[in-house]
Amino acid sequence: MVQASSEHATADAQVAMPADVDLHARPAAEFVRTAMRFSSEVWVAVGEREANAKSLLSILALGARRGTSLRLRAEGADAAIALETLAAAVSQLRD
Amino acid sequence: MALVGIVVVSHSAELARGVGELARQMAGPEVRIEIAGGGPGETLGTDDTLVRDAIRRANQGDGVVVLGDLGSAILTIRHVLERNGNGHARLVDAPLVEGTVAAAVVASVGCGLSEVSRAAEEARGASKF
Repeated sequence: MVQASSEHATADAQVAMPADVDLHARPAAEFVRTAMRFSSEVWVAVGEREANAKSLLSILALGARRGTSLRLRAEGADAAIALETLAAAVSQLRD
Repeated sequence: MALVGIVVVSHSAELARGVGELARQMAGPEVRIEIAGGGPGETLGTDDTLVRDAIRRANQGDGVVVLGDLGSAILTIRHVLERNGNGHARLVDAPLVEGTVAAAVVASVGCGLSEVSRAAEEARGASKF
């Protein structure tokens, strides 16, 4: 679910990693490529840690395992659509 | 639109091949990732001709980011870039594995030479965990 506020152009979403995919090499690259399609700043948090969704090495360093819940946050003109697209992309990640 | 190409220069042909393979798997088939590994006659070292040819193959018109492993690889790359005197290839100061995969993924979405170079150089400060 994406909650957006148009005045501030911020959005939040939560999505679970698929049950059989870790956010490692190829899936992480796919995630970053999706985030980079949008002009908004996008972050992803796992537990206490948050990373720039457009930085491959930061995403890899999160070490998000299969089934983990990712909290997505975006700020910018296309924040809502960015998170909607990214959440959908996460649920469809394949190894 | 052409994609920025990537060149991996290593003293070891095997190391260059492995880094290239990893980056290709993460960036997809559209980015040209070329390698120049080893010296003349399959020795450990670097070779001007291999580096120059790899840069040519990687160039699709929008520039090439070049990464080297250690000291004299950098000297070889600089030597090639100086002699060819072109602006389309840029040597970046980045760790080889992390810099190459980060640059390749950024190149795969169509970013320009400056952004791809920055992605590689940001790898210097990136924590692994």
